[in-house]
Amino acid sequence: MEHFDYESLGLKCGLEIHQQLDTEKKLFCRCPTVLQGTREPDFTIKRYMRPVLGEMGTFDKAMLTEYEKGMNIVYEGYNDVICTYELDDTPPFSCNEEARKIALQIALLVNANIIEEMHVCRKNYLDGSVPSGFQRTMILGTDGYITLESGKKIRIDILSLEEEAARRIKTENKTNYFRLDRLGIPLIEVTTKPDISHPDECKECAERIGLLFWSTKVKKVLGSIRQDVNVSIKSGTRIEIKGVQKLSWIPLLINNEISRQIKLIEIKNELAKRKISSDNITEDFTDLSETIKNLKSNFISQGLKSGKKLYGINFKGFKGVFGKELMKNYRFGTEVSSKVKILTGLKGIIHSDEDLENYGFSKEETEKFSKFLKSNPNDCFVLVLGIEKNVNKAIKVIIKRVKNAFEGVPPETRKALEDGTTEFLRELHGGARLYPDTDSKAIINKSSEIEEIKNILPRYPWEVIKEYSKKYNTEERMIKELIFDGNLALFEKLIKIYPENPTIIFTTLLETTTALRRDGKDIAIISDQDYMELFQELKYKNIGKEAIEEIMATKADFPDLSIKQIKEKLDIESISTEELEKIIRKILEKNIHIIKEREIRALGPLMGEIMKEVRGKIDGAIVSKELKNQLEKKLKELK
Amino acid sequence: MEDQLKGYRGKAKEFLKKHKINIWDIIALKTKKTKLEGILLPRYEHSAPNLIEIKLENNYNIGININEITEIAKIGKREAKYKIPEKTFPKNDLLPRVKLLGTGGTVASRLDYTTGAVIPSFTPGELFSSVPELAEICNLECELVFEILSENMKPEYWQKLADKVKQAANSGIEGVIIGHGTDTMSITSAALSFMLKDLSIPVVLVGSQRSSDRPSSDAALNLINAATVATSDIAEVVVTMLGSPSHDYGLIHRGTLVRKMHSSVRDTFRTINDIPLGMVRNRQIKMFKKDYRKKDKLETIALTKFEKKIAIIYSYPGVEDELIDFYIDNGYKGIVLAGTGLGHVSTNIYKSIERATQEGLTILMTTQTLHGFVGMDVYSTGRELQNLGVIPGKNLLPEVAYVKLGWVLGQTNDKKQIKELLLLNIAGEFIEREIPIAFNYNIDELLEKGKL
Ligand SMILES: [Zn+2]
Repeated sequence: MEHFDYESLGLKCGLEIHQQLDTEKKLFCRCPTVLQGTREPDFTIKRYMRPVLGEMGTFDKAMLTEYEKGMNIVYEGYNDVICTYELDDTPPFSCNEEARKIALQIALLVNANIIEEMHVCRKNYLDGSVPSGFQRTMILGTDGYITLESGKKIRIDILSLEEEAARRIKTENKTNYFRLDRLGIPLIEVTTKPDISHPDECKECAERIGLLFWSTKVKKVLGSIRQDVNVSIKSGTRIEIKGVQKLSWIPLLINNEISRQIKLIEIKNELAKRKISSDNITEDFTDLSETIKNLKSNFISQGLKSGKKLYGINFKGFKGVFGKELMKNYRFGTEVSSKVKILTGLKGIIHSDEDLENYGFSKEETEKFSKFLKSNPNDCFVLVLGIEKNVNKAIKVIIKRVKNAFEGVPPETRKALEDGTTEFLRELHGGARLYPDTDSKAIINKSSEIEEIKNILPRYPWEVIKEYSKKYNTEERMIKELIFDGNLALFEKLIKIYPENPTIIFTTLLETTTALRRDGKDIAIISDQDYMELFQELKYKNIGKEAIEEIMATKADFPDLSIKQIKEKLDIESISTEELEKIIRKILEKNIHIIKEREIRALGPLMGEIMKEVRGKIDGAIVSKELKNQLEKKLKELK
Repeated sequence: MEDQLKGYRGKAKEFLKKHKINIWDIIALKTKKTKLEGILLPRYEHSAPNLIEIKLENNYNIGININEITEIAKIGKREAKYKIPEKTFPKNDLLPRVKLLGTGGTVASRLDYTTGAVIPSFTPGELFSSVPELAEICNLECELVFEILSENMKPEYWQKLADKVKQAANSGIEGVIIGHGTDTMSITSAALSFMLKDLSIPVVLVGSQRSSDRPSSDAALNLINAATVATSDIAEVVVTMLGSPSHDYGLIHRGTLVRKMHSSVRDTFRTINDIPLGMVRNRQIKMFKKDYRKKDKLETIALTKFEKKIAIIYSYPGVEDELIDFYIDNGYKGIVLAGTGLGHVSTNIYKSIERATQEGLTILMTTQTLHGFVGMDVYSTGRELQNLGVIPGKNLLPEVAYVKLGWVLGQTNDKKQIKELLLLNIAGEFIEREIPIAFNYNIDELLEKGKL
């Protein structure tokens, strides 16, 4: 990974973190907050969104762009978990009290100033993910902070309580499909000020906010927390990166974005040095579809045969710009290409900074293109292939992005990708898209209520991590993992039942669960109560620790069986030391030839043989100790 | 001039006055915990006292307790920046002339981001800005007849609308759209159905269940559908609103058989006791029924006289004579009874009913079930009520019966004529036969099976 001098670059990062709350009902209706996974929907409805005339009597630009894409929307729902509210066919019901209280708790944990009277606002959503066309949101706290390990305080700008959007299922035939089960689940959003000045600090801050959320009553499943990062450097632009799914991505994403911004600024300076300005950029493109027949390049000639068009455009003095690497495996050409992809649906572009032979063009053909496009060696030409409507649109997108190169980093929203790079997601929205919700009345946060919640605030999770790691003699990482698995409370219950050996609890909750999950076992079915019974059995030595994994696996396969029933089914009856001694004696007699041959080294194979009989019924350590005793005795006898 | 501290009262009002702060001022304030800046907003009168409401720079609105405020100062004033779009509605001589009569419903509007208020846009230019598709259907002319909430509708307004339609129909307009709030839309449609004789053009009532300031509004689609119906050959008063929760097709309901059946959903309007006249989808009309009035060259007449001294009484267990006595004593001319089942009321009120008919009131029976006919020959209750002079209203919906009674009493005082007119099918309000699917039809399903 590349490292930069972040201070002299003037790196500023901020975070925006969303977390679903674990309430029974949704925020503004009384539907349950249970996602339905891949279950077939009971009904579908079709809707269209139209842009709304704003105060100036004109349409919001971003909304108009979305409308002009001509997308249909299909909402899919279930009769048992969706009501007419989610369909935007009934006004909102009163705000969910449970959600408000959890949100207040979080606001107090980040030391925010609580808003006494909250007003529900509407935030216009353009993509159809909310059937009403707007998300209901209210600001609950301002001016908080979170403290990092170093003592540095990152200011929290605002904290709002809002509705989760619908789940996007697929896009097919110009139709976006959304599932409504997720819509309306209470969501808390925390936005920091851009106080973060180092990628690692950003990761730590995101982690701390996440830990804080997860020490309260929030949904603790994959996808229930989502983070966006915004990044800017001096002379660059504030870029919002959406959909950062893992904390570990954050430093790489930031470093890549820094690199992208630096390189874009370099391009800007290079263009100035070459004395080219945005006015020099031609808007003339050439239709090459008829000009060059029988191309060697297969995909182009096939495309042309099917009626597609091939357009070319030449950019004077741009030699090398399209080929310039901005991030790893990401050139300026990629930047233009991915924007074309998102806005027009075309696969991409071809440019002359690339080796065109890779596209199957012969040298002569490349020269012909240059000739037709009047492209000199100092220029760069670009080709696009597609149906006429899309190619026309693509040319416009390309010209616009090339013109933007003269300004450095164009403002936009980008999407985080798994490899640590980003791609264009959408243009920035212009202007105010937030206005009062005329369907709901103001909500009061009483000071008495706030005092009550203050009295029962959970401790800061990082303090808990420190304390537990010391107390139970384990790495901090383990406790952190427990929190992010949503298992800290379970751990606390289990350690009360079985204080003898915390390591077994850690192993069970962290490693055994991972192993079983990897084997495809649905361990989510194992309840806290099951775990508690399991450790009770362990405590009273009814089972050995070796039996834990097998019992959990069986529970996953037969969820209706109780732990006791499983124990019986697996024939796990603990055995006494006397019985163990008997078994060991029996095995030693049986294997006397091995003992004679290997002497003390027979321990290993003998242990294996014995464990086959007693696994899960008694602690392996006891077996090993007893075996060693008896073997030594036996060896003495033999001598 | 607007109240400078609209909605504020008590201590909060005094506080603002003391600091010389008015609504729409930009203020900076400090509380015990934080600093804030924003625009002072007007407040709903019934909201909590001691708080002031501001719009923050991030556009969120919040309320702050004045007791928390340690410092406050005006630092500016929000400039109103409204602009009405200056577009002109494009004229196309090949397209029919359609007139849109406004009554105060917001078929098209724009948004005030600060207050969330919906500002109706009404001129053809404004409508063209928000629903440009209209220009592909017709040449639109607009007239704001009055501006009221539909719950405040009155017979005078029906009369005014009927006259406006008559003028339009007789002056070359080929269709009329009436923008109307949905609450009483079907009562207006019934009233116009009775008042307009020999109607020669379509009259389409339309509104929206989701206001046009939200992206998901049904307003634009309803308006496009209404314009399509207004340029059709259906010379009747109809209601055209969405026919399913989807933004898909509109249904065309006969003005005397339609009713709002749900407080909030988009497809709230249903034709009762029959299936709708037809549907409109993608600017195409498909008729389900053939027996509708077609456009002709007759002169449209408006018979708008209306007797206002009439009432609806909804029968209930324990209903008492005094209820009816009240109307008799106050000079009422007629009563519509919404009876139970086949058209029954408790024997408790026989005495006052008899008194009413003897004193010259016309009493018309309908059913609370909405669906089905009154059948007052089946049980003795029904026969006795007829003997007391109650007229069975067949399949009339209670509100339609109310409108019809007022209109008939406006036309004549003659007892015999009143009864004849009440029982005459004037505007398609009576069905001759109830088709079996009328009670439970599901248009989506019928369309899917190709049964329409
Ligand atoms: Zn619901």
